[in-house]
Amino acid sequence: MIDLGRQMRDFVVVAILAILIATCAFVVVRNTELTSHQIALADRAIDTIHDSRAPSAHAVVVGPATASRKHPFLRKRQVFDRGIWRPLTDKQLYDMATRYERQGEIAELTADGRGLVVRCIDQPGLPSSRSCTSIAIAITEPAKPAPYPFLVLIGVLGLGAAIAAAGALIGRAGRAGMFAAIAVLAVPTMLWHAWIAASAILLLGGAVALAQRVALTDRIAAALVKNRTALSFLAPAAIAMFVLVATPFFIGIVLGFYDHHAGRWSFVGLSNFTEILSGSGRALDDPLNFWFILGVTVLWTIANVALHVTIGVSLALALSRKWIFGRGIFRMLFILPWAIPNYITALMWKGMFDEQYGAMNLMLHKAGFSGASWFHHWATSFGANVATNTWLGFPFMMVVALGALETIPKELYEAADVDGASAWQRFRHITLPHLRPALGPAVALGSIWTFNMFNVIYLVSAGKPNNSTNILVTDAYRWAFERNESYGMAAAYGTIIFLILLLWTVFGTRIVRSKEDA
Amino acid sequence: MKLLVLLFALIACGEPRERGGVVLWHAYNGLERTALEETAARWNAEHPETPLTLIAVPYDSFADKLTSAVPHGNGPDLFIFNEDRIGSWAESGIIEPIEFWVDDALADRFTDQATRALAYRGSLWGLPVAVKSLVLYVRTDLVKQPPRTTNELLALAPAMKKRNGYALAYVNGNLYFHAPWLHGFGGSVMDDTGRLSISTAQAADAMAFARKLVADGVAPSEPESPMVATLFNEGKAATVISGPWFVTDIAKNTPWQVVTLPIVSETGKPAAPFLGVESILMSSQAHDKTAAFAVMSALTNDAAAITRAKVARQVVANPAAYADAAVARDPALHVFLAQLEQTVPTPKVPAMRTVWTPYENALGEVLAGRSTPSAALEKVVDEVKKFNK
Repeated sequence: MIDLGRQMRDFVVVAILAILIATCAFVVVRNTELTSHQIALADRAIDTIHDSRAPSAHAVVVGPATASRKHPFLRKRQVFDRGIWRPLTDKQLYDMATRYERQGEIAELTADGRGLVVRCIDQPGLPSSRSCTSIAIAITEPAKPAPYPFLVLIGVLGLGAAIAAAGALIGRAGRAGMFAAIAVLAVPTMLWHAWIAASAILLLGGAVALAQRVALTDRIAAALVKNRTALSFLAPAAIAMFVLVATPFFIGIVLGFYDHHAGRWSFVGLSNFTEILSGSGRALDDPLNFWFILGVTVLWTIANVALHVTIGVSLALALSRKWIFGRGIFRMLFILPWAIPNYITALMWKGMFDEQYGAMNLMLHKAGFSGASWFHHWATSFGANVATNTWLGFPFMMVVALGALETIPKELYEAADVDGASAWQRFRHITLPHLRPALGPAVALGSIWTFNMFNVIYLVSAGKPNNSTNILVTDAYRWAFERNESYGMAAAYGTIIFLILLLWTVFGTRIVRSKEDA
Repeated sequence: MKLLVLLFALIACGEPRERGGVVLWHAYNGLERTALEETAARWNAEHPETPLTLIAVPYDSFADKLTSAVPHGNGPDLFIFNEDRIGSWAESGIIEPIEFWVDDALADRFTDQATRALAYRGSLWGLPVAVKSLVLYVRTDLVKQPPRTTNELLALAPAMKKRNGYALAYVNGNLYFHAPWLHGFGGSVMDDTGRLSISTAQAADAMAFARKLVADGVAPSEPESPMVATLFNEGKAATVISGPWFVTDIAKNTPWQVVTLPIVSETGKPAAPFLGVESILMSSQAHDKTAAFAVMSALTNDAAAITRAKVARQVVANPAAYADAAVARDPALHVFLAQLEQTVPTPKVPAMRTVWTPYENALGEVLAGRSTPSAALEKVVDEVKKFNK
């Protein structure tokens, strides 16, 4: 037995969803119908263009362009008007004829609801040739799209509500009534032949009837009422996250299935992904092969995180000694690299690796060595990137380690002293185990940052030599901005990077944790 | 709740568009901005019925802002930008073809090179404001007679080597700066339909020449722009290949002059840089296109060009402007105008934008002596074809 209040509550929620689906379907159906109707009108106008009995106001014939002898890009056209050719004075017609010559036949709905058809036509009296001599252009009057069917929807809603209420009142027919009520809402979409929307609404009805059967709707409603204070506090953040994080993320993933060319998007399914993952037919040692770049990225991440942790922890251990003079000053100095914006640091290091005037080579010269062409070889170029990012990254690990060191109880070291433990044993069995809980998340976070460290790679080596020091994010950037605006490929790259990092955070952190337990 | 309502109200309002006026975006600052504002003020005084509003937009985000605003009916009616994006903007319907309004008399205002650079697929897309190309900057204290051929340029090397310097400094790892040699040796990148001509014997000769300059110590290997300026100011580079913007990098007490680029001795052809044309373009979503074109035309007429040449020392594309007494006194402007005769329009096919980086890589490999020119060029072709399937 379902009481009337609950039945109506469930019906209202589901009806709102159903109306949303129906509205989307209506807009799609209406637009397709309007387009085909308007284009058919324009097409007919062209067909009757030579029929003197039915002169069409909408269609004209435009001649081919004649270029100025002095400036070949200045071209004029003529229009065939009441039996004679006269100069064309309407820019819209002129541009449409030019567009036809560039991209072929046009049949579309303009933004203001006019049907537009442009195609070649044979002039009577002129021999038809392969190249088009006359272009017929037809534009219809703007048509208003069909109005939103408020009355139909209100009627259907009323009928549905009545059925739902009846179902609840009859007693045992509550759920069947709910399903029937929602099914009624699907009727208009069926009349529009919008089968996807119709089945979606029917599925929705089935789902809510099922949910009522296991009292799910009641439980959800109860939970919402019970936690309304907490939910109202969460709502602003949830809305912001949805708009600023979830939406771009979702759009980014969808774009990966599209190809972008000259401002137009076309659905290409998985082909971006297969192209990337197959290495787009390049050899494995080709720096533009995905797997090569992934190898460089992984190597880059491992080298950096290892150096960050080693240097950071060593410095933290040194600075935690009470007897070091001026510890505060050193701590501040070592944090400086972190405080300076990383692109400035990256540019400074790039300058230091300059072949002729960079600090590195000047020092090497002073020491009697010949300088290196840092960005001419993979190893030195990669090394320059790693050096820069190590400089940028160790302070974070140092700060984390310093914090963790403070929390280790002194008694442990005193007890170890009594037992006669060596310095290494104290480090191995007391310090390290206490650092792990803090360093684990720091390493996970640091590896994700390093994996996507765009600034250093892009500004220091810029992929030199020959793109071989690019990492995945910098290559994704190049797809978007240097390779014909291949936004689809760049988005697919983004999705792949996300999946790799997701796998790493799920499984990688598990490895760290299992070590901790051991 | 009030906050939310306020937020939605803000979103709903967006940018209110004023009707009846023309809005122009530009990325100018300093004197160039002053000059443009002066010409705009003249228009506004004469045409109060169609007020022109100038909006300065930072150069770095200019193109991105345009490509995202225009398709949604926002953005400016007119804007000033380089011609190299015309191809992709024309293909994606961002800009409006303007040849319908232009007759021979109007086109005759400008040098042919400039207008030809603004034509793409049979249409004209903009009216030129200023032209930019590379020229040769010479230190007059180190070079008695500016080199007229590459052999004369090479002859400067021994004396400069003694000073621990170079005869020539330029950003040789970049196709834009390599282009004078490429064209001087008879090479090219692609034609107006996008057919590639990257891997040719002529292009290989040009690359071999660039490599020889480095190998023989005539030019430094792959310096960046700031380094080139430092070398020139410190007297360690006798000559520099750069554009009009280089003037501001020259230190105060450096004696210098500009001359046209030398003739390539091997071929007898002049070294020809790419031509850059800053022009006024019209958004395909401009409100009153006829009025917008009238503004375009007024801002590029001879009087406006004289103002820009005088105030901002812009290399304008109107030959008549150089007859003006004040403009005629500026010797550098005349050199830029003369260089204009020996330029090659940058290909405007969208595929051109995928050429720069692979070509840069190829130059890097060849200049470092790790690859032969022909092999490196073959690789460029391979890359470009892959990105333009």
